[in-house]
Amino acid sequence: MKRRTFLQLGTIIAASAVLDGCRSKNEQLIPYLIPPDEGVTPGKGTYYASSCNACPAGCGILVRVSEGRAKKIEGNPDHPINRGKLCARGQAIVQELYHPDRVPHPLKRNGPRGSGAFTRISWQEGIGLLADKLKALQREQNTNGLALLTPHLRGTLAELTSRFMRTFGSTNHVSYELLTPDLLRAAARRSFGHPSLPYYDIAETRYLLSFGADFVENHLSPVKYGSAFGQMRQGRDTVRGHFTYVGGRMSLTAASADRWMPAKPGSEGALALGMARLILAESLYDSGALAANGLEAKKLLAALDRYDLPRVTQLSGLPQGAIAEVAREFASTRPALALAGEMVAFQSNGPESVRAVHLLNLLVGSLNRPGGIYPDAGFPSGPENSFAELLALIETMHGGNVKVAMIHGDPLYSVPPATGFHDALAKVPFIVSFSSLLDDTALHADLVLPDHAALESWGDVIPVAGTREPVVGLMQPVVEPLFDTRQFPEVLLATAHELGGRMAAALPDESYLELLKGAIRKQAGLEAGVDFEATWVDLLQHGGSFKGKSSKLTGYRWGSDAPPPLPEDPDFAGDPKTYPFHLIVYPSTAFYDGRGAPYPWLQQLPDPMTTVVWGSWVEINPETAAELGIGFGDLVEVTSPQGTLRLPAVVYPGIRPDMVAVPLGQGHGGMGRYAQGQGVNPLALVARQGTKQQPAWNATRVRITRISGKGELVTAGHPQGSLRSELVEI
Amino acid sequence: MNKVRLIIGLAIVTVAIVAASVLLYILPLDVRDHSPVQPLRFSHKLHAGDNGIHCLFCHSYALKSPAAGIPSMEECRACHLFISPNAPEIKKLMKYWEKREPIPWVRVYSLPDFVYFPHMMHVRAKLPCAACHGEVATMERITRSASLKMGWCLNCHQKHKASIDCWTCHK
Repeated sequence: MKRRTFLQLGTIIAASAVLDGCRSKNEQLIPYLIPPDEGVTPGKGTYYASSCNACPAGCGILVRVSEGRAKKIEGNPDHPINRGKLCARGQAIVQELYHPDRVPHPLKRNGPRGSGAFTRISWQEGIGLLADKLKALQREQNTNGLALLTPHLRGTLAELTSRFMRTFGSTNHVSYELLTPDLLRAAARRSFGHPSLPYYDIAETRYLLSFGADFVENHLSPVKYGSAFGQMRQGRDTVRGHFTYVGGRMSLTAASADRWMPAKPGSEGALALGMARLILAESLYDSGALAANGLEAKKLLAALDRYDLPRVTQLSGLPQGAIAEVAREFASTRPALALAGEMVAFQSNGPESVRAVHLLNLLVGSLNRPGGIYPDAGFPSGPENSFAELLALIETMHGGNVKVAMIHGDPLYSVPPATGFHDALAKVPFIVSFSSLLDDTALHADLVLPDHAALESWGDVIPVAGTREPVVGLMQPVVEPLFDTRQFPEVLLATAHELGGRMAAALPDESYLELLKGAIRKQAGLEAGVDFEATWVDLLQHGGSFKGKSSKLTGYRWGSDAPPPLPEDPDFAGDPKTYPFHLIVYPSTAFYDGRGAPYPWLQQLPDPMTTVVWGSWVEINPETAAELGIGFGDLVEVTSPQGTLRLPAVVYPGIRPDMVAVPLGQGHGGMGRYAQGQGVNPLALVARQGTKQQPAWNATRVRITRISGKGELVTAGHPQGSLRSELVEI
Repeated sequence: MNKVRLIIGLAIVTVAIVAASVLLYILPLDVRDHSPVQPLRFSHKLHAGDNGIHCLFCHSYALKSPAAGIPSMEECRACHLFISPNAPEIKKLMKYWEKREPIPWVRVYSLPDFVYFPHMMHVRAKLPCAACHGEVATMERITRSASLKMGWCLNCHQKHKASIDCWTCHK
């Protein structure tokens, strides 16, 4: 062959190969083997109303299902909490259903704890195993050897779990969540005599003063308050509400404010009292409101005597003029509303600081007024110090008195190790997890009885702190269960039946659906002769019962025996010389307290303030960073009296120079392929000081050292304060 | 001399590449098979033509769904348990059924993802199936008779005074 012919041939072959690549292939058309049921039309969506349980806010959702698959979730326009809106976390729960690492069937451990070595067992065997352990406890007359640890449950499920534990004869039933608003309840109890959470009428207020309440991202009911905030700013023709944020770190909420007051951590309560004192001293208060609450201005002023401006200026580290200005604005604009959030509550002096903010609302007459604060009617009473209950349980477990622990949720991740929970749990001989992904807790369990995904479950969802009327949202399965899983309450019922005797008699329902329907029927209070089935179908169609009777709760009134709030000086774990910085752990926008981490949509969501995607980071003020020689994206080591973590630094101007902040939610040891090994869990740093039975997650001091220039930080853009350009970009 | 040759050569190569790219862009590169061989020799002529079965009998979702749908295996089988069960192609069908495998039919008509085409609206507007799918009743094996290009869609929409707003099809 001549050289020329060879080249020609080669070119032709190459060209045809390239052209063949452009050729689009005929697709295949796969028929059903057996046609789907009546009501399923291929290519056409059906919408089901349900409720979101990704956080306690309990928004209503509409799920589009086509060909028997859940495709898209949006907010339910009829639901009084979210009115058709929905946050990213709610949108992402469809990925819980289709997560590739879901536990498809019950598992029994066959290797060392934490190794993830499990064998498949049947449900009969799984429930039999659990029932055998419980029967053994009954035989030994040691029913208190059973512990149940769940997140805060509400409605029928709470009723079922407590009935299960009560009848079994165990008092070790703890409902615990990291970001629980317990302290808000405890503060309300001390100030007003009843422990209801606040409902803020943000939409109607004209001056909003938030003490560390990040209501746009995660405080209580973020979708509700996010849209109310929009209403307050732009919804009225003549007024644009003013917003001042107090808190050492600029969150997304703080970034939406007109004025940012970066007070020293732990000084927020003193600052509120300083403002209250100024309002009293300058007679800017609402005298009618004071009289109605049985308070006297003179006495109150005397009680707050210590909080004069110079002292508050020194405590909070804010300019004196700004404090006085905000206090006067707050008092002279009506209606005005002050909120207290997690940044304040999770300090050592949290409850009293929250009460100081209550006092501000009282002084300007914003209790039970439009544009003010009302008691939440949705779920008026709840745990007031579940952390103390958790500590008691840890004590019991440590003493080896818990033989069987049934755990829903992932406490091994979300309880800070400083509480000793990890060691205590290791002493429990038999751990049952109900997780649908192999999370940290499930990996250490002896038996995994996987729960349904939310979109496969029945339930009632009672929203927290978002309404003035009682609202019950309903959850219904929108698809057939994908795997051989069972809903947690169904497992409890089946176990009770297996145990027989008193347990079976106390929990006679065949299924959770039956129990739920019974509970809803009781709530509806139907007259005899009315067809409940029709009501039930109607409720399911609309997503729940939204026309609750108006609340029986009386409004807030300052308790006659309530002392004036006097927060003590904040107390921090760690010596200021060795550990010069305050550590703030804040719930991340995407993951909340970590339960959003397994979903890739949320993992891909850049943080709204720093634009960081994937992993964890620590936010450091540029001044501090320059002093320590830390650049944007450097790897640093954060050390607290409790532990040490390595993570990349984000040089962030929106934080006090004496403070560093790490987002919560990453650093899972398990929880599926998307969460596992991503970032670090900042709870490893959180220390406890003294014997205080109070969750002071933001009262730890740390020190920072630069390790190297390779932090492997990924950002979606050039955030403000970026000092280096050689970052990995996407 | 050599330099000039090199320059001319390079110029020719550049022009050729540009021309090829332009050609690739203009040429109708839809080289999908218009009449692909199907895994089973199913005859539309026999079913829809000779026996006069209505299109919607098998493609039953066309009236109420964007997708017309194809009959499930169970539906094929239900008839053919009794109708010519011994024909070789029917035996093939039954083999698929026994193996619990769907027949991997080759798709003839397909639109890109960015086009929203609802069958039900067209059927309800009394457009005959043959307007797009050709005289299926005379075809042994289905052959695509329309180009399925946007111009072809628009022509018909204009003729029938249907909306030609972008959002009608691209949503």
